[in-house]
Amino acid sequence: MTSANARWVAPRPAAAGTTWLYSLLPLLAAIALAAALHFGLQPAIGPFRTNVLMNIGINVILAVSLNIVNGFTGQFSIGHAGFMAVGGYTAAAITYYTSFRVWGDALMHGGVLSGVPANGWLTAGDALFVGSCLAGGLLAAVAGYLVGLPSLRLRGDYLAIVTLGFGEIVRVLLQQSDSDIPYLAADVQRMSVWQMARHLGGALGFSGVPFYTTPFWVWLFAAVTLLVAFRVKRSSYGRAFLSIREDETAAEAMGVALTRFKVRAFVLAAFFAGIAGGLFAHEIGTALNPRELGFMKSFDIVIMVVLGGMGSISGAALAAAILTILPEVLRSPPHVWPLGLVAIVFVLMVRRKAGRRAALTLAAVTVALEAVRAAALWQGVNLADYRMVLYALSLVVMMIVRPKGLFGVREIWDYRPLGRRRAATVAVG
Amino acid sequence: MMEPLLDIRGLSISFGGLKAVADFDLQLGPRDLQGLIGPNGAGKTTVFNLLTGIYRPQAGSVRLAGRVLTGLRPHQVAAAGIARTFQASRLFGNLSVLDNVRIGCHLRTRHGLPGTILRTPQQVGEERAILARSVHLLSTFGLQDRRDELACNLPYGDRRRLEMARALATDPQVLLLDEPAAGMNPPEKLALRELIRGLRERFDVTILLIEHDMGVVMDICERITVLDYGVTIAVGTPAEVQRDPRVIEAYLGGDTVTK
Ligand SMILES: Nc1ncnc2c1ncn2[C@@H]1O[C@H](COP(=O)(O)OP(=O)(O)OP(=O)(O)O)[C@@H](O)[C@H]1O
Ligand SMILES: [Mg+2]
Repeated sequence: MTSANARWVAPRPAAAGTTWLYSLLPLLAAIALAAALHFGLQPAIGPFRTNVLMNIGINVILAVSLNIVNGFTGQFSIGHAGFMAVGGYTAAAITYYTSFRVWGDALMHGGVLSGVPANGWLTAGDALFVGSCLAGGLLAAVAGYLVGLPSLRLRGDYLAIVTLGFGEIVRVLLQQSDSDIPYLAADVQRMSVWQMARHLGGALGFSGVPFYTTPFWVWLFAAVTLLVAFRVKRSSYGRAFLSIREDETAAEAMGVALTRFKVRAFVLAAFFAGIAGGLFAHEIGTALNPRELGFMKSFDIVIMVVLGGMGSISGAALAAAILTILPEVLRSPPHVWPLGLVAIVFVLMVRRKAGRRAALTLAAVTVALEAVRAAALWQGVNLADYRMVLYALSLVVMMIVRPKGLFGVREIWDYRPLGRRRAATVAVG
Repeated sequence: MMEPLLDIRGLSISFGGLKAVADFDLQLGPRDLQGLIGPNGAGKTTVFNLLTGIYRPQAGSVRLAGRVLTGLRPHQVAAAGIARTFQASRLFGNLSVLDNVRIGCHLRTRHGLPGTILRTPQQVGEERAILARSVHLLSTFGLQDRRDELACNLPYGDRRRLEMARALATDPQVLLLDEPAAGMNPPEKLALRELIRGLRERFDVTILLIEHDMGVVMDICERITVLDYGVTIAVGTPAEVQRDPRVIEAYLGGDTVTK
């Protein structure tokens, strides 16, 4: 008689040719990318665009991580900024108060990577900053677990409400925190950890956090987030997530523990949102206050995921980049027709017949954008003020034209020119 | 009869006032191939839902190789060794055919999230084993040429076979098939008979089959249980069941039992 145990268990010979080096190689690539952006691009683009570059990275982290919940497992979380806030405030408080304890001030104690070239490479300040961000991510993950465990048993729409409520609770709690942030070492020395945790700046925000965030750190974390998301998506583990999105009943019948996997996706996403919060908290030019991290921020992130395509990592990242740059572009909108023309010609070249409709759509969009631009110039309107209207409008159009987002569940490179689709699945590697 | 592999006793459930399944008994030995038939709404699918933990029985018990499964969640039942297909196809539509099968294999892996993120040699090794097994399953069901297509784009017959392949990927001891022939054309149905027969040896699996197509059921099943309004009205070999006056009566006006 057969035993009650499974007879087939995936054998796990250490795959030939696979070593730890191989599995860590992309991480080295990530460091190289971050360094290239930091040392190569940053000096060329000046401080203002450097900030945009960092904002893009932070939003990429947020969108790609939310995509793990909303895109992979098909849940609908609209409280991502709540996790960002938890991570951001945790990181800010740790950096700020630890700096006082260690150095007697909350100034920069950084190296090249933190934008203060004098002090050498990786210094104590950088270490503190990265540690704070990781701690922020961990606390956000804990929050994700506490929120997710009870609510992920519920049907999808209830989850949306719970996450919305969570985000608001975090915001209100932070608003209620004590607004006196001590700025003298002596005062800080007298405070207990509990007191520190309560002095977070209230409605005015947490000011005085040193600006450790640089393109290097932002893009290193962004690359790691992307790497994790891709590895999860293209794995047995990630397919369990995807199966939940496709059909919960069938997924469960295939042995996927629904609640457990949903909670894990939620915790993973919250972790990265917390890190993004930490980066945001230490960024120059941003205000770490509860208003910035409220529902509107959550909504921004949801839009990025929906526009990019639920489940498409590259789509979410691209949408994050576009929506970050958009307000800057809108301030002085350039002509779009050259771009539109190039796109139309390209579409017609690679997809002769099928591309005709797409080309027409592109032409219509180009004309419409030019019209809006002209009207705005004529009336002296700053389009950036109408950002949210444009977002909402583009969402509406998107839901009609491409209900699954720009790239659906696939990645950008799954759309090959010449109409033929590449094998959607890739062997391990 | 040997000690049963799957031992179902007194299984009952009602929805509101309706007794959907009442006092259902069934024993399946290793590598049995049995049938479960009955008119529409007789409670056949409900029996599957009870066995796989989707519904919780109000009375009765299910044992697999001596282990009590009653009260387990569906994913635990799958882990214990019962897999099923669904009457209305429930494939993962936006995933490829290959991925549908690979998800079935996930249950038998041992690496977790850290292994996945770090892509440890162990994880890569398991992933390769999954791929090999899935490709093998797909070719068993004649789907190897469609592995990269999205499941939602498959024609009907292929979907039914993919459901079976996916269920077998969990390496079950008992396979529950809910109307696998529905929507298939006659040649496909003929091929299906051979396929299902062969599965028992190839995958060392016990099969319980719900099917409206009497040609298929009567040909391949060793024993048949007949349900009507949730009640078992006959049990026996295909020949015995076909002759049973109660069965004939239950089917009068609907399908006929004889081919
Ligand atoms: N969740 C439920 N809630 C209420 N009634 C249900 C539920 N599930 C099944 N039923 C009822 O139980 C009865 C048996 O349904 P079931 O789906 O098991 O029939 P079946 O034998 O599989 O029929 P068919 O051959 O049409 O698939 C039907 O009357 C059905 O309406
Ligand atoms: Mg049925």
